[in-house]
Amino acid sequence: MANSDKKTVLVVDDEADVRNFLQAALVEAGFNVILAEDGNQALNEVEKSKPDLISLDLVMPKKSGARFYRELNKNKAWSKIPVIIVTGHARDDLGKSDLKELTMSGPGIYLEKPVKPNNYIAAIKKLLGMDTTAEEKETAEMVELQSDLKNIIDDADPETLKKLKELLKKK
Amino acid sequence: MARNSSKIEKRTHDRRRLSDLVFHELFQQVPFNVAIIDRDYNIIMANDNFTEYFGDWKGKKCYAVYKKLSKPCAECPSEEVFSTGKAVAADAVGIDQQGRKTHYIGNVFPITEEKGGRVEYVMEMTRSIIETGRLQSEYQILFDRVPCYITVIGEDYRIVRANEAFRENFGDVLGQLCYTVYKRRKTKCPNCPAAKTFRDGKIHNSTQLGTGKRGQEINYAVSTSPLMRGRGSVAHVIEISNDITALRKLEQEVIEAERLGAVGQTVAGLAHSIKNILMGLEGGKYIVSLGLKKNDKEMINKGWDMLERNFEKTTSLVKDFLSFSKGRLPDLKMISPAKLAEEIVELYKDIAAQSGIELKMELDGKIKNAPLDPDGIHTCLTNLVSNAIDACLMGEQRGTEVVIKVSDAGGKLVFAVSDNGSGIDYEIKKKIFTTFFTTKGGAGTGLGLLTTRKIVQEHGGKIMVESEKGKGARFRMEFPRKRLMALYKS
Repeated sequence: MANSDKKTVLVVDDEADVRNFLQAALVEAGFNVILAEDGNQALNEVEKSKPDLISLDLVMPKKSGARFYRELNKNKAWSKIPVIIVTGHARDDLGKSDLKELTMSGPGIYLEKPVKPNNYIAAIKKLLGMDTTAEEKETAEMVELQSDLKNIIDDADPETLKKLKELLKKK
Repeated sequence: MARNSSKIEKRTHDRRRLSDLVFHELFQQVPFNVAIIDRDYNIIMANDNFTEYFGDWKGKKCYAVYKKLSKPCAECPSEEVFSTGKAVAADAVGIDQQGRKTHYIGNVFPITEEKGGRVEYVMEMTRSIIETGRLQSEYQILFDRVPCYITVIGEDYRIVRANEAFRENFGDVLGQLCYTVYKRRKTKCPNCPAAKTFRDGKIHNSTQLGTGKRGQEINYAVSTSPLMRGRGSVAHVIEISNDITALRKLEQEVIEAERLGAVGQTVAGLAHSIKNILMGLEGGKYIVSLGLKKNDKEMINKGWDMLERNFEKTTSLVKDFLSFSKGRLPDLKMISPAKLAEEIVELYKDIAAQSGIELKMELDGKIKNAPLDPDGIHTCLTNLVSNAIDACLMGEQRGTEVVIKVSDAGGKLVFAVSDNGSGIDYEIKKKIFTTFFTTKGGAGTGLGLLTTRKIVQEHGGKIMVESEKGKGARFRMEFPRKRLMALYKS
């Protein structure tokens, strides 16, 4: 079934709806998709199917996304797999510290739930260095910029935030 | 005969020797500066205390030693004693051997060869009161400046003394009735702590609300202690009060800040729940449109199911949210706690059994009826039991047992729900009651424990959790019976 030309994405999320949604979008864009419900399953799948990219939720029962990621990084080969974090906890206490650790090391990007299928696919293609349409390229760049900006804004001091706001208002 | 007279001589001699010794000891040990002075102001004798205090005196005039003067003092008590032959009390300001000004008091006694005869010498016994004076002013400063209100109240409830702090806030009040001053009342206060102290001679503590001289409200914690008369009756009462107005205000501010903090967390939690639902709706919408495009009925159904499920989640979120935000007093009824727990067991037994989990109830001794809000406690137990069942299903090693234990000892009614399921991470335990978040993915709204805690607190109780990751969890809801009764009566 697996087409050797097709890239394989491992989707890790404890919520069935999210898994279904991301799977549908990925299949539609021509990816092979493997699913995992938690960090433990995900590690098994990484070992078994060597995915090209991992789409990861952070807060999950049993093994959380952060713990999974830490274990992933212990393995030299696996640590090169790009990771896209899809989380609803990007800005609360539960996810923030995890997220900081994750975006600091390894390749990856994070998207905040709810995600749009277009943004999601474009970001993944960009991470995998795949050929993209001009439109996809633009979307991916925008998504990446937004993600970077969010990181910067989260860490910025109030003074910088004020300046930034002024700057954005002028446009 | 001769022998006898020599015996008497010896005894007389011994006595004289003894009296010399005694005189010498007395002269040296008496806690005064003692000096013997003749009519020409010469100091002829002085004890070691004197020497230590005023320095060398041999061959010097008294005024030179006491005051470092070159001629006799304008008012000389010794002159008076020389002329009248009577002892006088005196006080004077002199200069000690370090050159410091010193205030001393004492007595001057005449020394005569025979009773009523001419006064040849005077003996001056003095003592520095610098120390006493310092203590007195220290005491005064302490009394006035100590950061609390101090009054002394007589049996007629009139204020005999008041310190500066008190006068600053309550006005100049000496001689006035304490209840007028403290509370602007015309009659004695009910539960007057001073009255209690007058009655039983014991210390009493209470907190009171008074009115200051500018009409400002003053919260104070007062303690009344007795000043006893000789035979144990209370002559005066000292009232020492701490102004706790600022503390009270601070307490209120803390409560308010906590409340606002909780609102903030609630809003953040709400946003998160909604984000999750939006993700589901987004997904459903996408899959339906994909199905329509491909004319794939199965896909359309799948997407439609997702949409329905997430609309359903919105409904239950709103319901939970409303029940959480309801700020109501619990509707207390005298009910049997054991029966309530039994109802929950009946309700969940089958669901638990389907997953291979045994739901049990244990009663620790006899459980008396208690005033509880049946619906509220029902909600709490439901939340805890369904959490416990979920924890059993979630663990890496699956648990098989959930126990509701009811106990009633030490004035506390306790419901404990324990499981041997997945347990709770330390990190998550810290947040479990504060943020309403869920680790159950889409299955929970994250409001269950928050609502539970709220209901428990409305009953005057508290909820605690003991758990270690992988070792199950135990939630305890404790209700002090005293508080339950107080709530029930009000």
